[in-house]
Amino acid sequence: MKYSNFAKGLAISLGAAVMALGSANLAKAEVPSWCGPKKATLALLDGYGGNSWRQVTTASGKQTVELCPSITKYEYADGQGDTQKSISDIKSMAAKGVDSLVVFGDAGPAVLPAITSVFKSGKIIVPYRVAVGGKEGVNYSKFIGSSFENDGATWGKWIKSVLPKGGNVLFLSGPAGNSQGLDELKGLKSVLGPEYVFVNAQPFDVTNWDPALTQKVLTAEIAKNAKIDVIVSDFGPSLVGALPTFTKQGKSIPALATSDGNSLGCFWHDNQASNPDFKLFTVATGNDNVRLAVQWAVALATGGEKPKDAIFKAPAFEDSVSGKPNAVLCRKDLPGAIYMSSELPAEDQAKAVGQ
Amino acid sequence: MSTPLARSFVTVVFSTLVLLVVCLLFAPSSVSWGALSGSLPFAATIAIVGLGQLLVVQQGGFDLSLPGAVSLAVVVSTHHPHQDDGLLYQAVLLAIAFALVAGFLNGILVSFFRLNAIIATIGTNALLYGAVFATSGGVPSITTNLLAEIAGGETLGLPNSVYFVLGATAIVSFLLKKTVVGRRFEAIGANPLAGRAAGLRVRLHQMMAYVYAQLLYCLAGILIAGITREPTAFQGDSLLLPSVAVVVLGGTSLLGGRGYPISTVIAAFFLNQLSQFALSVGVPFSAQTIIQALALGFGIGVYSLRWSVNVRQTAGTKNVEEKK
Repeated sequence: MKYSNFAKGLAISLGAAVMALGSANLAKAEVPSWCGPKKATLALLDGYGGNSWRQVTTASGKQTVELCPSITKYEYADGQGDTQKSISDIKSMAAKGVDSLVVFGDAGPAVLPAITSVFKSGKIIVPYRVAVGGKEGVNYSKFIGSSFENDGATWGKWIKSVLPKGGNVLFLSGPAGNSQGLDELKGLKSVLGPEYVFVNAQPFDVTNWDPALTQKVLTAEIAKNAKIDVIVSDFGPSLVGALPTFTKQGKSIPALATSDGNSLGCFWHDNQASNPDFKLFTVATGNDNVRLAVQWAVALATGGEKPKDAIFKAPAFEDSVSGKPNAVLCRKDLPGAIYMSSELPAEDQAKAVGQ
Repeated sequence: MSTPLARSFVTVVFSTLVLLVVCLLFAPSSVSWGALSGSLPFAATIAIVGLGQLLVVQQGGFDLSLPGAVSLAVVVSTHHPHQDDGLLYQAVLLAIAFALVAGFLNGILVSFFRLNAIIATIGTNALLYGAVFATSGGVPSITTNLLAEIAGGETLGLPNSVYFVLGATAIVSFLLKKTVVGRRFEAIGANPLAGRAAGLRVRLHQMMAYVYAQLLYCLAGILIAGITREPTAFQGDSLLLPSVAVVVLGGTSLLGGRGYPISTVIAAFFLNQLSQFALSVGVPFSAQTIIQALALGFGIGVYSLRWSVNVRQTAGTKNVEEKK
């Protein structure tokens, strides 16, 4: 598979080069405080880059890097969901002489040895979002977590408000054992008592955040469970293709607590009338987590001022019941694969996802 | 001639029936109509790529360009129309054109330049992924409504994708078993030297195997694009292993020769039902993986059982001879 990875890498780096040329013309605004005077290079390493969420996240990361003129070179690599490739990406970026690395360690602790060896060689390395184990100052420079437990608790509170008497909960997350799903579950359980029954396989149903697998999993769960009162999913848009399965089996789509996405918002608008139980609640999907991680990496590499926060907390975003903080949003004129909660303007996101 | 066909067919049907009984006993919901109609489309895509791989395997080859080919068909049929139904037919034609180019490239490299099939098709796969990135930038696009209706809809209570499989199986079986071209194709697969001695155009047939295979991958890719609302740009990756597995389960020898399209399609149903079963038992993911591996082992083991009986018989004869 080396050939194929090489070709994918080549395609990505060509794309990145073209984008970099295009953006070089942008006028530089005033330099933010986290951007120090020391010149440095930075690489963003993704464990899996093959969905629009990652594309918007990558664009957000890149936009953040561009705010700092001290960063002379920016590189990106996509591990394509392959742990081996993610590890070799990390090592080869360091070997190429990149000064600071921001790592989305999808594979979790499996990438820690690579991260540690890069840190020990004197580079700045900032893993973010997915816990990789290890310790700050021993294995890496700084870990910028996202409080998924907070997300879980936020969903839990909403579920309590729409189903005060309890009910059957179906919880879907990404790859097996991913720390995001486990933390969300902790948050959910901290709020929901035993009257809320989790009908999924423990700790969560594995979907790899892949729409095709999500569809298969949901099909099996709907057939198995006569009554599902609420679905909790940490990647809402991947559910859009699967939700019509309820309608096909003559049931109403149940309440849904998840993260936001334009296609999901539009799907809710199109289907809420014919599905009386379809209530929707979202937390911000957290594309902006990468900004904080990049700011930290740049601050450490260029001698800038360190940001105040070290944990990204996603705020509640849409609620179809109360309309607060937002009613469900839908921009039909823009691609479904963008996220209204992101700091990156919707039009720029549309460009990032190539449509 | 009819005995080996019956054996492969009986074996795969038997395995599937055993699986269905196990499903009924331990996870009845996995054989409920709702679950079946939801999962059959995925079985359909495995079946179609399996048929493509079958044709290549029959010529003693291996097609590792399948992931790139399926993914390219997926992104071309979603990105090109950009949710505009009117552009769908163009996208489909474009996808077919790509499939033909990739098929001829594979075929020429393997049959005329005598490159190792595995190496040649890996190279083609890389090229195809290049095209996937050029088309999509690695991002999914939402599928057009028309395609979602054609590939993901239902007719007379059955998912449309099932009709596509039935059609593809009928065409492949008919061409393979009932036409002169098909008989020559199989004969060459069984013994290319004998084929050449008989004056058949061996290289042409070997090349065309890759072309037919690409057309089937293309069909599978377009179906996936319709079945999944927002397919990723790497949707083909998870199909390579199943494509080979169903060919083997279907009873076709990896060394080439006779092919069993119908058994291959049933094997695809078996494999898909297996994963639905694992999902439905409601055990943790690790246990699901183990169940799948064990059942696959069982499916293949059913063949080995036959063989070991033969071996024992042979060994028995030898013993008798030794005693003499």
